[in-house]
Amino acid sequence: MLFIELLKTSWQSLRVNPKRSFLTMIGIVIGIAAVITIIALGNGVKAKILKELQATNSGKQTTEISYYPNDSTAGSQGFSEDDLMQIRSDFSASLSDVQFKRDTKNINKPVFLGNESRTATISLVKGANQHYTITTGHNIAKSDNEVNNQVALLSKKMAMKEYGTEENALGSSLTVSDKTYQIIGVFNKPTDNYNVDFLLPQKTYLYSTAAQNGSTIKLTFNKGVKVSAASKKIASFLKKNGSSKKEGTYEYTDMGSLLSGISKVISSLTYFISAIAGISLFIAGIGVMNMMYISVSERTQEIGIRLAVGASARSIMLQFLLEAIMLTVFGGLLGFLIGWGTAALISLALPFKAIVTVSSFLLAFGVSSLVGIVFGLLPAKQAADKNLIDILR
Amino acid sequence: MIDIKKANKFYGQGEAAFHVLHDIDLSIAEGEFVSIMGQSGSGKSTLINIIGFLDDEFKGEYFYYKHPIHKYTRAQFSKLRNQNVGFVFQNFKLINTLTVADNVGLPLLYAGEKRQAIKKRVKDVLEAVGLPDASEKKPQNLSGGQQQRVSIARAIVTNPKFLIADEPTGALDSQTSREIMALFKKLNQKNRTTIIMVTHDEKVALQSERIVRILDGRILSDKKVGA
Ligand SMILES: Nc1ncnc2c1ncn2[C@@H]1O[C@H](COP(=O)(O)OP(=O)(O)O)[C@@H](O)[C@H]1O
Ligand SMILES: [Mg+2]
Repeated sequence: MLFIELLKTSWQSLRVNPKRSFLTMIGIVIGIAAVITIIALGNGVKAKILKELQATNSGKQTTEISYYPNDSTAGSQGFSEDDLMQIRSDFSASLSDVQFKRDTKNINKPVFLGNESRTATISLVKGANQHYTITTGHNIAKSDNEVNNQVALLSKKMAMKEYGTEENALGSSLTVSDKTYQIIGVFNKPTDNYNVDFLLPQKTYLYSTAAQNGSTIKLTFNKGVKVSAASKKIASFLKKNGSSKKEGTYEYTDMGSLLSGISKVISSLTYFISAIAGISLFIAGIGVMNMMYISVSERTQEIGIRLAVGASARSIMLQFLLEAIMLTVFGGLLGFLIGWGTAALISLALPFKAIVTVSSFLLAFGVSSLVGIVFGLLPAKQAADKNLIDILR
Repeated sequence: MIDIKKANKFYGQGEAAFHVLHDIDLSIAEGEFVSIMGQSGSGKSTLINIIGFLDDEFKGEYFYYKHPIHKYTRAQFSKLRNQNVGFVFQNFKLINTLTVADNVGLPLLYAGEKRQAIKKRVKDVLEAVGLPDASEKKPQNLSGGQQQRVSIARAIVTNPKFLIADEPTGALDSQTSREIMALFKKLNQKNRTTIIMVTHDEKVALQSERIVRILDGRILSDKKVGA
């Protein structure tokens, strides 16, 4: 008999009794779902830690200090070139570099549109704009970036609100950080995106605002430095001496220690949950075995008929074994999906994303097939060893 | 075609062994239509199961087209059954969870045939047994006579060398019995299919060409019908 036909036969048999098949699967589903959930969370926190405490190419570690103004309309971004020079000279022993962290997306800034002042969200375009579709006027071209043309694109929403039509908006001027840009086109923002109001050529923008200030700095430490303690020191230094200390606060969020705390909790939970899942899978396996034994004895006549028309003992055995494996593998795949969903839900409340990998999938698939094989083998053997003459009597 | 020499059959082992068949000698040629008759418990089913390769545990010799079947392994028996014999039983022995078409196609599935080929062949044999529209039905929804036709369709689907039928009309009324017998006769005469049939019913037996009578596991008589 062809293997594919055996598969179909087993599938048909499972469908004869869908409720029983489903109930038998539940234990597997729960066991696998629990394991996948905890593994996905563990993967997530590990990836996040790596990213947060990432070593640069030379093995050095970096951290960030951010400035939070008390009043969000305040002009100052918190860090000036002077602040950086101060830090450089005071912490030269441990630091190898200090830089502004450049945002290129969703920068909130006070701007003038025409003569009106407002706070707007700006994104920068590298080279030519490809992400946004232009509805009126023309696009930011690569050459605009190359020669620092002071041109800008305006969102369709804002154009309609401020000028009534898209055409009216063309040619008006936009002032950002004392530089004036000319609106050359109107874009339609993709639905998934933030409320971006303006697009500016990146190179023009960075060139004109120069490296004068920023709201976040990136610290790169020398090898062997305790980055967490050193960063805290720099943050408290800034609180005392920073250029904008009166208008806001300088904060160092120690993601590293926060995450490694979570990671420790998750890895100890992993052992605990794996143990419980193991027990759950074992009990589920016994359930599968029980159901298969019942099925084999209920279907004695069927087995006899199949043997009589020429089924080999081997194909009878495979049929029942495949039934058990299908049952557990479906349970495993369902558990995998549920575990994935659960992990994603839980991670909404945690500072990282759950990560499901191919190896998690293979684990779910492998473990569930193994349970099917181990607990389906004896019933399948019993089916294959039945005495044809006794059945036909 | 079939040559059985000094076949003995025991049920059980050792002291408790029950001697059912005693030194059976039986030869059947291609194209014959043989009835086996005898009291209940005389060993008819036991004998026909041996003839049909269902039972591989007997003493003595069985030559099938000169092949020594008594030396074959269990795996060889499955193949032999699949390719050479069709079975018809008193209680039809259909799988109730499968459709009529799937029941009929089962032997071909185990022969390794493809679905497409099976479908066509199943359609043909269902027509041959007079059930052209039953393929998608479940066996329970058919009458006894129809179910027996389905099982005959299954028996002939592989074009077997011979059919064995254990009281094929035992569960049917006399009208339906006549129809089933007519079908057997047609198969025997038109397709030259060898048929070996166990029956209780003298009238049914008289439809065949030869009657073998058994008593307590021994052949009592073996005569041509009408002789
Ligand atoms: N599988 C079996 N195990 C033990 N005894 C059996 C078995 N099959 C049949 N017998 C016994 O063997 C004898 C012959 O049975 P069987 O061949 O079925 O007779 P018949 O078909 O002529 O009625 C009976 O006494 C029956 O009880
Ligand atoms: Mg009998």
